[in-house]
Amino acid sequence: MMDGKVKEQKEQRKHQQKSSGPKSERKKSRKLDDTAVEENENKKNPKAFAVQSAVRMAKSFHRTQDLKTKKHHIPHVDRSPLDPPPIVVVVVGPPKVGKTTLIRCLIKNFTRQKLGDIRGPVTIVSGKKRRLTFIECNNDINTMIDLAKVADLVLMLIDASFGFEMETFEFLNICQVHGFPRIMGVLTHLDSFKNNKQLRTAKKVLKHRFWTEVYQGAKLFYLSGMVYGEYQAQEVKNLGRFISVIKFRPLAWQTSHPYVFADRMEDLTDPETLRLDQKCDRTVSLYGYLRGTYLKKHTQVHIPGVGDFSVADVGFLPDPCSLPDTKRKRTLNEKERLLYAPMSGVGGVVYDKDAVYIDLPRGHVNREQEESRPTTELVRSLIDTHATLDAKMASSKVSLFRGSATITDTDVEGDEQLENSAPLSPDPTSNRERRKMIFTGEVEANEDGDDSEDGDDSEDGEDGDDSEDGDDSEDGEDEEGGDDGDNGENGEGNDDMDEAESDEELDTNEGNNVSMFLKQVRASTEQPGKLTEPQRVQTGKRLKMSVDEGEPKVSETLAFADSEDDLELSKEDLSEGESAAEESDEEDSESEQIETRAAGSAFCSDEEWTDDEPDVESTVKSEGMEIPPPKTTEKDLKKAKALEIKGSDQAYETDGALRWKDDLQQKASEVFLKHQQAAPNLRKLVYGTVSSQGAGQGEEAELGGLFRVSRPEKSKTNLADAADYSRFHPDSLHNWDLEEMMHSIADCFVTGKWEEWQDAATLLKQDENLYGDFEDLETGEVHNGDDKDQETQPEVGGEEEADDDAKEDIKVDDETQKKNKRLEKKRRLKERFDAEYDDGDATYFDDLKEEMQIQAELNRTEFESMDDATRVQYEGFRPGMYVRLEIAALPCEFVTNFDPHYPVILGGLGSSEGNVGYLQLRVKKHRWYNRILKNRDPLIVSLGWRRFQAMPLYHIEDHNGRHRMLKYTPQHMHCGASIWGPITPQGTGFLAVQSVSETKANFRIAATGVVLELDKSVTLVKKLKLIGYPYKIYKNTSFIKGMFNTVLEVAKFEGASVRTVSGVRGQIKKALSTPAGAYRATFEDRLLMSDIVFLRTWYPVAVPQLYNPVTSLLLPVGQKENWSGMRTVGQLKHDLGLHYKPKPDSVYKPVVRAPRHFNRLNIPKKLQKALPFKSKPKQDQGKGKTPRDLIRPTVVREPRERKVAALLDALSTVHSYQRKKARGAQRLKHKGFLQQREKQEGEKVKRQKEAKKKLYRMMGQQENKSQRSSLKGASQDG
Amino acid sequence: MTSHGLEYQGCNFFRQRLVLSTLSGKRVRIKGIRSRDDNPGLRDFEASFIRLLDKVTNGTKIEINQTGTVLFYQPGLLLGGTIEHDCNPQRSIGYYLEGLLMLAAFMKTPLKATLKGVTNDPTDPSVDLLKTTALPLLKQFGIDGDGLELKVVKRGMAPGGGGEVLFSCPIRRTLRPVQLTEPGKIKRIRGIAYSVRCSPQMANRIVDSARSVINKFIPDIYIYTDHLKGANSGKSPGFGLVLAAETQKGFFLSAELSSAPQGQGPTILPEDLGKNCAKLLLEEIHRGGCVDSTNQSLALLFMTLGQQDVSKVLLGPLSPYTVEFLRHIRDFFQIMFKMEAKPPLEDERKGGEKVLMTCVGVGFSNISKVTK
Repeated sequence: MMDGKVKEQKEQRKHQQKSSGPKSERKKSRKLDDTAVEENENKKNPKAFAVQSAVRMAKSFHRTQDLKTKKHHIPHVDRSPLDPPPIVVVVVGPPKVGKTTLIRCLIKNFTRQKLGDIRGPVTIVSGKKRRLTFIECNNDINTMIDLAKVADLVLMLIDASFGFEMETFEFLNICQVHGFPRIMGVLTHLDSFKNNKQLRTAKKVLKHRFWTEVYQGAKLFYLSGMVYGEYQAQEVKNLGRFISVIKFRPLAWQTSHPYVFADRMEDLTDPETLRLDQKCDRTVSLYGYLRGTYLKKHTQVHIPGVGDFSVADVGFLPDPCSLPDTKRKRTLNEKERLLYAPMSGVGGVVYDKDAVYIDLPRGHVNREQEESRPTTELVRSLIDTHATLDAKMASSKVSLFRGSATITDTDVEGDEQLENSAPLSPDPTSNRERRKMIFTGEVEANEDGDDSEDGDDSEDGEDGDDSEDGDDSEDGEDEEGGDDGDNGENGEGNDDMDEAESDEELDTNEGNNVSMFLKQVRASTEQPGKLTEPQRVQTGKRLKMSVDEGEPKVSETLAFADSEDDLELSKEDLSEGESAAEESDEEDSESEQIETRAAGSAFCSDEEWTDDEPDVESTVKSEGMEIPPPKTTEKDLKKAKALEIKGSDQAYETDGALRWKDDLQQKASEVFLKHQQAAPNLRKLVYGTVSSQGAGQGEEAELGGLFRVSRPEKSKTNLADAADYSRFHPDSLHNWDLEEMMHSIADCFVTGKWEEWQDAATLLKQDENLYGDFEDLETGEVHNGDDKDQETQPEVGGEEEADDDAKEDIKVDDETQKKNKRLEKKRRLKERFDAEYDDGDATYFDDLKEEMQIQAELNRTEFESMDDATRVQYEGFRPGMYVRLEIAALPCEFVTNFDPHYPVILGGLGSSEGNVGYLQLRVKKHRWYNRILKNRDPLIVSLGWRRFQAMPLYHIEDHNGRHRMLKYTPQHMHCGASIWGPITPQGTGFLAVQSVSETKANFRIAATGVVLELDKSVTLVKKLKLIGYPYKIYKNTSFIKGMFNTVLEVAKFEGASVRTVSGVRGQIKKALSTPAGAYRATFEDRLLMSDIVFLRTWYPVAVPQLYNPVTSLLLPVGQKENWSGMRTVGQLKHDLGLHYKPKPDSVYKPVVRAPRHFNRLNIPKKLQKALPFKSKPKQDQGKGKTPRDLIRPTVVREPRERKVAALLDALSTVHSYQRKKARGAQRLKHKGFLQQREKQEGEKVKRQKEAKKKLYRMMGQQENKSQRSSLKGASQDG
Repeated sequence: MTSHGLEYQGCNFFRQRLVLSTLSGKRVRIKGIRSRDDNPGLRDFEASFIRLLDKVTNGTKIEINQTGTVLFYQPGLLLGGTIEHDCNPQRSIGYYLEGLLMLAAFMKTPLKATLKGVTNDPTDPSVDLLKTTALPLLKQFGIDGDGLELKVVKRGMAPGGGGEVLFSCPIRRTLRPVQLTEPGKIKRIRGIAYSVRCSPQMANRIVDSARSVINKFIPDIYIYTDHLKGANSGKSPGFGLVLAAETQKGFFLSAELSSAPQGQGPTILPEDLGKNCAKLLLEEIHRGGCVDSTNQSLALLFMTLGQQDVSKVLLGPLSPYTVEFLRHIRDFFQIMFKMEAKPPLEDERKGGEKVLMTCVGVGFSNISKVTK
């Protein structure tokens, strides 16, 4: 029923269009008009389209051009690598804002894995072409600075319930200085808003503030609330999507310097030297993806927080977290969602030269951590005897109910912190307070031996109130993991452990740092005698933990299962190792799988990889190629030695040593081919054999050795001192009289034969072919030639094809050939057309862009076909490679105080960036920093990769280019600064802070700026005023003393201009013999003896040579943010309780002025006479006595006369009163009269008006009458 | 803090080491300089070269031991500006100029150098040769403009000298990568025949004999005669010829020959000199490439100092000097060149084997230049 009704309603009557009548006609006419108007609107209203003003037209043209050009960026050659390194995603924010939770959620989102404790960078595969490295930035300005330099993407977490905090702004300013990475804001704690409107306004306010800081329209995410201690899955997913599609612009510093963000650190120091000297310099290998640009061997690197080091060895390893190889799929396979975080204890199995890294299966981490927690807690606490009681107390946990979350000291503290900070938060001024509060809380936490993360987590737990249980349990995990990590790092008591304990240890530690495992292994190797059988079995077991089926790339071959033959080969050396391996084999048969890396290169550095193997092969195959073997034998020996030393590592080592047997034939053929080519021969001639090439500085010192390669030995000394000229005198000239010889270079000249494609004749022909009739092509020779081509092609393609098929093929080919030809012709015509007509549009910018593109293409393709080992020699290590850098002589504190929460960055330095010199900077005090900066006060500068303390001298450039020293930085202006520091390319930005340790309420970034100039000397001057006094004054000449001390000094200043206080200018003329230092000077006026003479000069100032790198990474764990360097004078005085004693001269005293007495002005009489009367002094003395006759006598009245006078007085008073009274009355009367008269006047006027009106009316009537009568009369007449 | 240094033995390739050290900022210690010689230690011309480097730099530390057999060189920053240098007449100005050409583009202020000494001698490339070949090469790398100039004010032959050369060069922050793979065909040959303190006819005789040889290949030849008199003619007599072949793509191949210094070696007739020089040019053409043998190292250096892009250049056979230069580049900049030998095709008549040199630049930038 209803449906029917609806249908009826829908079927409405259609609108009837009128086909006749005025309306339809109007419409028709309009339609016609419309088309016409569109066509010739210009004609219809030509004025509107005419050029009104040439100036305005030019202006508008300029404007459009300006707008167009503004969009252009300077084109850069795209040097981004084909398989780029993982993107560094730095998660930044003040404490307790949810950084760890976010990282955990994102990792879970991308990899479906749950990480318990996150320490150090975590690398994951997020998509087919993208990998991400997450790192959390803790609340330390050192870390913030370091991470801002390597960040590609910054996730900036903001506590919406609180608003922005200082840290956020500090980080933004750091970013601005060091190149602006992509920044995405994330608002958290949005669930604390009860009111929806409040929430909306808060969002809006924060968004707009964020936009002004970053850029208009910067992406800001909202994480609305927690669900079971995690952010909502959908929101995290969206955030993840944004991260995986975001695009980047290359940053200048990052693209011009190679850098490695280390995700793994191993100490390689010889245990024996370690035993002898605990504090010896360590050899350390650091691992990570190479980013930025090509890394050369033997480059210097700077490790921010440690110092400058030269890289002893670089090698590339197979990618531990590689991208999926097939790119045809749409989504990632579950197995391809890799996760690599060695410092957190997760990742693939990695073998390399001296370490083994083991991964656990997916999901294993969590389960283990969760399940084994309560039992291991007890065991571990029993084992842990190296921790003090206090520390244990601090880390001890109480469980109220079985299976429930444990409560720790820090948890309680965290609660307290929250309670403390919570009431403060609404206060807008409490921003600063909040920072301070949190920091102190953290310090306490650190002192207790926990890391700051735990505090974070506990807070997170508090946030999700309804999901407290889940959160707390997670906290428990975290803490446990953290403690385990500490254990692992300290892990010295491991060898004391009995088997069962170590077994359990392992269970708990599976998600843990490798270094622990390594150390265990090392500890066991140190005492091979102690090594018991079960322990060795244990090592075998450990191996087997490395199950990761999901990584076909990372783990290529099964090593031990079928390597018995291989093992036998090395039996002589490795009896022990063999047994271990065999045991492992036995164990293998039980149930578990062993997978190892097939990376041969992991065992040896890349040169070995390339050189050794060919050597071995050449001996095997006896090709007879000349390859110098001594190097390799040495290395083999070394290797063997290493094998002997390392007991438990043997199993792996044997495997690696015998790996060369794999696909022997193929490699041999490759090598043969390589040697067949001419290029390596030439290369050998120039660079010697490759093995000697990579051997380092020691070998380069005896560079003369290279001569030996190409020339006989005896000539070496002669050559070393031979004449140095660049001319190339050939040993024997060709005989250029011979016709044959002359013929051989005939084509070098324009008169010679040209190439096919350049020859004028062929070019002409081509043109004919192109523009001639197509049919012509099919006939004649051309056609035959094509046929030939066609016939040969299928022959090449395959001989087995049947003959009858061949004919058909030819036909088909013929057609395709024709088609191709047509297409080719079309293409060339189009090209020609484009060249003719489009070229006008091509701007300089387009040309430049195209040029860059061509260069980028060339860069990409030039070394593409080479294998990595060779390529590395030409290019250096490519960005995107996973490299291992070995650094010798690192301070032992780096290893002993290693904390994975602090980033280890290896920043490559340019060719002369390792030197020091003077830097001239342009500085501006930060407008949010509330003090001005004092000259020579030490500042901590972050410049390039480095953070260092320097003493800047501020200066300003005068109009004549003089650099005048300033005592303080100007308030709102740029000024110059000179420091002694590392040479850094000009144009590099820097920032300065006063201290990195204190956490003040105020903004900490003191100044920002840019490097202008580098030099080895500076010309900075300050003002110097020399004072002298005249001691003899002739007319305009005076003798001045007291300014100089010797004649020589005066001689230097002859001709210099001087002036007095009153402004009389003069010049130094000549020195006087006595007194010493006195001189004659002339002035523009005569001086007084009381005058003081000034000489203004400039005195050069030396810049203090202080370069003090901030070694924050070397500080003990928990105190890394407390680095303090040189103190400022103010701080020193404050700390020592000193006070400034002012000079007595500088103290203000009350001004006492003696009353001044002026003498009379005395004008000579002669002058007086000459003066005009006006200016003559007037004789204004008193009139003198009045003459007697003029003096009037005083009258004394008689009593009667007095009476009469009194009466007369009284009478006159009465009279005057009466007169006054009478006048008043008279005035009143007159007023009345005037009023009356006015009234009468008004009436009179009225009357007259009336009368006039009457009169005029009458007159009008009369006139009308007479007019009428006259009209009548006329009509009567007519 | 300072970068680690390098050590070498012997005085050979002295300039290369010092120049590369200056550019890379690495210290260098050269030991055993003519230590076995009867007259040990540095020669005057080497000392003069060091002094020249000291003039164009700021903050350079030079230590030489008492016998002069050990030199320690810690480079400062390149300063430039107007300098004047009396080059030791033991070597010609070309010796010094070759070093300056490598450094001039990376100064703080544009270099204006007045070099006095021997302009032409048989061992080193003469000023005229560098003018015709090295300057166009600099232009290929983006060092061009008004400032680039090399002018022979006075000509001075060995051994007396007395010549004067004005060299000025603009500064650049970065160099651009080059792809000089196709030399093109030679379109013309130009030359300068000079004679000082001898008959002006000498030059004409040289021209005639030289033309007689190369006229068979190309008709477009013009050889200028340059006869200087009086104060501009230096202190010693002599004559010589510089020939340069220019290709269509603007590359130059050159050869030169000059008479032996007065009182040394056998005398040579101007006719023979002209012929021999022409033959040397043919030899150079036979070697071929985009850069002639004298400037190979200059081209390779600028490729090394380019941006981090691939540069390519086609060279003739590498001279021993260049080979050593390549090794030094590897020491100082860790750059290795990819070398592909290009043997001549069978039907091609373009001289001997060529080498295609390929490298990726280090991304060098002029750190001395001031930004305001």
